[in-house]
Amino acid sequence: MIKNGSIIAIQLAILWAVNQLGYVIVSWTGIPLPGNVVGIFILLLLLMTKILPLSFVEKGASILVKHLGFFFIPISVGLIAYGDLFLSHGIPLAIVIIVSVMVGIYVSGIVSQVLVEKKEKKKHEHSRNPA
Amino acid sequence: MSIVVTLLSIIGTVTAYLLSRKIANKKPSPFTTPVFLSTVLIILVMVMTGTSYGQYEQAKDIMTYLLGPATVALAVPIYKNRHLIVQYCVPAGTGLILGSIVTIFLSILIGGLFQLSEVLISSLAVKSATVPIAIEISHIINGDMSITAAFVIITGILGAMLGPWLLTKTNITNPVARGLAVGTISHGIGTAEIAREGELQGAVSGTAMAIAAIFTSIFVPLL
Repeated sequence: MIKNGSIIAIQLAILWAVNQLGYVIVSWTGIPLPGNVVGIFILLLLLMTKILPLSFVEKGASILVKHLGFFFIPISVGLIAYGDLFLSHGIPLAIVIIVSVMVGIYVSGIVSQVLVEKKEKKKHEHSRNPA
Repeated sequence: MSIVVTLLSIIGTVTAYLLSRKIANKKPSPFTTPVFLSTVLIILVMVMTGTSYGQYEQAKDIMTYLLGPATVALAVPIYKNRHLIVQYCVPAGTGLILGSIVTIFLSILIGGLFQLSEVLISSLAVKSATVPIAIEISHIINGDMSITAAFVIITGILGAMLGPWLLTKTNITNPVARGLAVGTISHGIGTAEIAREGELQGAVSGTAMAIAAIFTSIFVPLL
């Protein structure tokens, strides 16, 4: 139990360090990306080059990803400060956001599903072995 | 005194989150999406107890401290599913680009029909990108940074609430397509929700979120 806890703590520290590195790289190079997105690419690179074995971050990462939603709750509570804007422009804003979100999700989903299925059909014609 | 408020805010937020997760597992519906339900519960408690957002902010800073590392952690499911992601990069990439363009144009078009101000329309155009990138782009195209952040969050919550439901209703069942659609349009908040369906959905969504944000940052300033 204690051993497991300290392994997770060390893994969280590694993820924290990669995130910090992402922000340092952004401030040095001025690339127009947020530090945490750069952090994703750094960690991916470390894993692919096997510099960092998967087992060194896997447990900590799976806990964070499982509870990713939690971190957005305090940020969402911040919407409380925009009550006035939504009272004055609420209906048009709601329509713009709901329509563009739903149509966007539908288009992305249907286009990729149709293309994925087409690709799978083609593959099955060539061989019967699943990938 | 403020320490007590901060501590209570943290306990309250964690409780709301755990409770919402339980309800969401028992009764899955757009309205039980954990980020949405928890936010509503917390705002209700704040209004009832007369707590201002200023009093909650310190707790927010503490609780969001791990958001950066949690975003970085998405590299792990991406890595584990890298072969599938590379294999499907053409279908997924096409869906990502078309979906992003549609959502951007609809925001500008409908916003224009309602004669919203240019600042509001600029802020709406970038709302599918993850918060830090959306704020950057909004700054470049003369949007308002804090209004942009608010739109991005609402987009994320709506995408998390309505996305999985809409995809199921329209028979979009392929896990790659589901992850891609939700990640492209509703960034990290959507990713957190679709990752509850499965690791592949989460991995594709996390990848789509990063790439869609980069695409938006290149595309929108050109308009």
